[in-house]
Amino acid sequence: MPTLEDLSKCVIKGNVAKTKKMTQVLIDEGVFPLDIINKGLIAGMGVVGVRFKNAEMFVPEVMVAAKAMSQGIEMVKPLIAESDMPSAGKVLLGTVKGDLHDIGKNLVGIMLESSGYTVIDIGIDKSPDDFVQAIKEHQPHIMGMSALLTTTMLHMKDTIELMKEEGMGHVKAIVGGAPISQDFADEVGADGFAPDAASAVDLCNSLLN
Amino acid sequence: MTIRSNIKANQTTRMNVLTPDQCQELVYAAEEAMWRTGTNFHDEESLEIVKKAGCWVDGERVRVPAHIFEQALKTCQKHIVLCNSRTGARELFVEGYNSYFGSGPCTPFTRNPFTGERHRATRQSVGWATKVLDALPNIDYAMSLGIVQDVPLLISDRHEFEQQILNTDKPIITVCVDQWGQEDCIKMAEIAAGGEEELRRNPFICLYAEPISPGVHCREAAQKLVMGAKKDLPTIYTPCIMAGGTAPATLAGVMVQGLCESLSGLVLSQCTREGAPFIMGGVYTILDMTTTIFSYGAPELSLLLAALADVAHYLGIPMFGTAGCTDSCIIDEQAGIEAAISIAMTNMSGANLNHDIGYAEQGATSNLDLVVVCDEVLGMARRLTDGIRVDEQTMSLDMIERVGPGGSFQDECCADDDFDDDMDEDDGPSCACGNFKPRLINRAAREMWEKAGGKTLTQAANEKVRDIINYHEPEPLPKDIAAKIRNIVENAVGHMPGED
Repeated sequence: MPTLEDLSKCVIKGNVAKTKKMTQVLIDEGVFPLDIINKGLIAGMGVVGVRFKNAEMFVPEVMVAAKAMSQGIEMVKPLIAESDMPSAGKVLLGTVKGDLHDIGKNLVGIMLESSGYTVIDIGIDKSPDDFVQAIKEHQPHIMGMSALLTTTMLHMKDTIELMKEEGMGHVKAIVGGAPISQDFADEVGADGFAPDAASAVDLCNSLLN
Repeated sequence: MTIRSNIKANQTTRMNVLTPDQCQELVYAAEEAMWRTGTNFHDEESLEIVKKAGCWVDGERVRVPAHIFEQALKTCQKHIVLCNSRTGARELFVEGYNSYFGSGPCTPFTRNPFTGERHRATRQSVGWATKVLDALPNIDYAMSLGIVQDVPLLISDRHEFEQQILNTDKPIITVCVDQWGQEDCIKMAEIAAGGEEELRRNPFICLYAEPISPGVHCREAAQKLVMGAKKDLPTIYTPCIMAGGTAPATLAGVMVQGLCESLSGLVLSQCTREGAPFIMGGVYTILDMTTTIFSYGAPELSLLLAALADVAHYLGIPMFGTAGCTDSCIIDEQAGIEAAISIAMTNMSGANLNHDIGYAEQGATSNLDLVVVCDEVLGMARRLTDGIRVDEQTMSLDMIERVGPGGSFQDECCADDDFDDDMDEDDGPSCACGNFKPRLINRAAREMWEKAGGKTLTQAANEKVRDIINYHEPEPLPKDIAAKIRNIVENAVGHMPGED
């Protein structure tokens, strides 16, 4: 029988088919479902995160590892009560109004999902109203806004102000994109800023802990 | 006497990444992508224009039939000249194998050359940058090297343009925030040129727009392109593409994706107005898979753009390239290496109008020290492409005979008689043998170098930047013209993105 450590290794290697096969064997053998997730699948992804930070692994490898992990989790999910499902937190992401750029936002989403976050991506060209409606619907812990242009980044302030008006001060607002700086984030009243996709994960971790 | 017959000689050093057959394959693939996949236009007027011309429009998706692209290729103006803003003199022939170099636009940040502080770009920083570009002999045109941010952001482009036109007479490539900004900048340029007709006859500005990869023409970009065509002003359309991010990871896939975007822009331009001057741009590079940044220093950037230059030559249309930039956060050895490789390679590829000199920190921060270093590198790169003239005179058989074994050639510097002793020191390479004459590069003996302060290249460059800012006086803009331009800046109205 494969061990949980073997399952972790499968995730690290990004072997989707083998991860699924091994997860099934572990389920059939009656291994405690939460252990399969925490000590097998997520543990493997934890190693991937460390290696990525050390530049030993690259984005595409992280992505296939994340795919292996999430497919394994999907198999175990039906066996666990929803409230017991481990999640680092829920993050809602979008690009601000008038801006159609989204590669940076997408990368942040990938990095967050790889780190165990549930990510809701509402897409590009989203007005303050769109963000607020989406927050009402999805109840995230964190709301992240992206902008590539010095003109469109002005919409960030409007969105944060509208969130406060709507009594959503408990949702942490984070901002990012090429023209954004810590000073700008402070100026618009954001709770945080990250200069790249990987550090956005650290930022979310620190905001929620 | 040698009488040569049917000889083939290289006038300059040349480099090719692709053969004409490979260029043809890429262009056909781009035509297929423009038809099979198409691109999205987020602009009503543009959709109307291309639909009327015969493109297939389905919502925002536009599919270009091959014959419409091929017709656009035929009609676009290939001979584009950029002029001096004060005299109208025709200076940059943006065509064929001519390679011109200048700075990049739109960095949010800049580094203050006096304090070393990194801060958001301002009116003053753009003014200083333009002055430096104006003073350097190997810099051919000016882009702003910063988004002016000490003014209302929605009209920053008008302030940028004012700072540029005040501080240089070299051609200006202007990047506007939207169609309203572009309209104001064109008005200012028309005032400087002496009227709409005069600007069209001898354009000193070039317009600029970018699609969003993969395959999206946002409203601002499409509108700017349409306006450029209507006004008959040279317009650059330049996708910024990341292998593995906004395009396939294979470099040939990047080429197809980029060409599909640029050439769809060409179609819009020609469907708007046949004969409009169009410049195919490109910043093709990789998404760095460790840091997730858009790399300005990757060797793939230079390789892809040299390949694009081959395609541009194959198509016979002018091209806008990229060089002189770095991912490094400071101007260090890495910055020098990346800037030098990209400049040398771009220059050898014969790309026409090349931007982004002075970009540091993956294009986030402009740095004037790097501009001065790149000016020096350009001197070296241009020496490399000057090649070696081989003829009876330069082979110098008589001199070799005259000096003989054990002799000295020091007094015999040049092969021919046109060596000019009186040439001004500042005129650059003065010797008829055309060798590169360093201005910044150190070749002094150690003691001499120490005596002169033992400075690094970057220190010497920074001193030159300060000197230029303190003492260089650009050709002044007549006061009445400056006042009219000021008036437009003061009355500019900003438009919030996403709102009409």
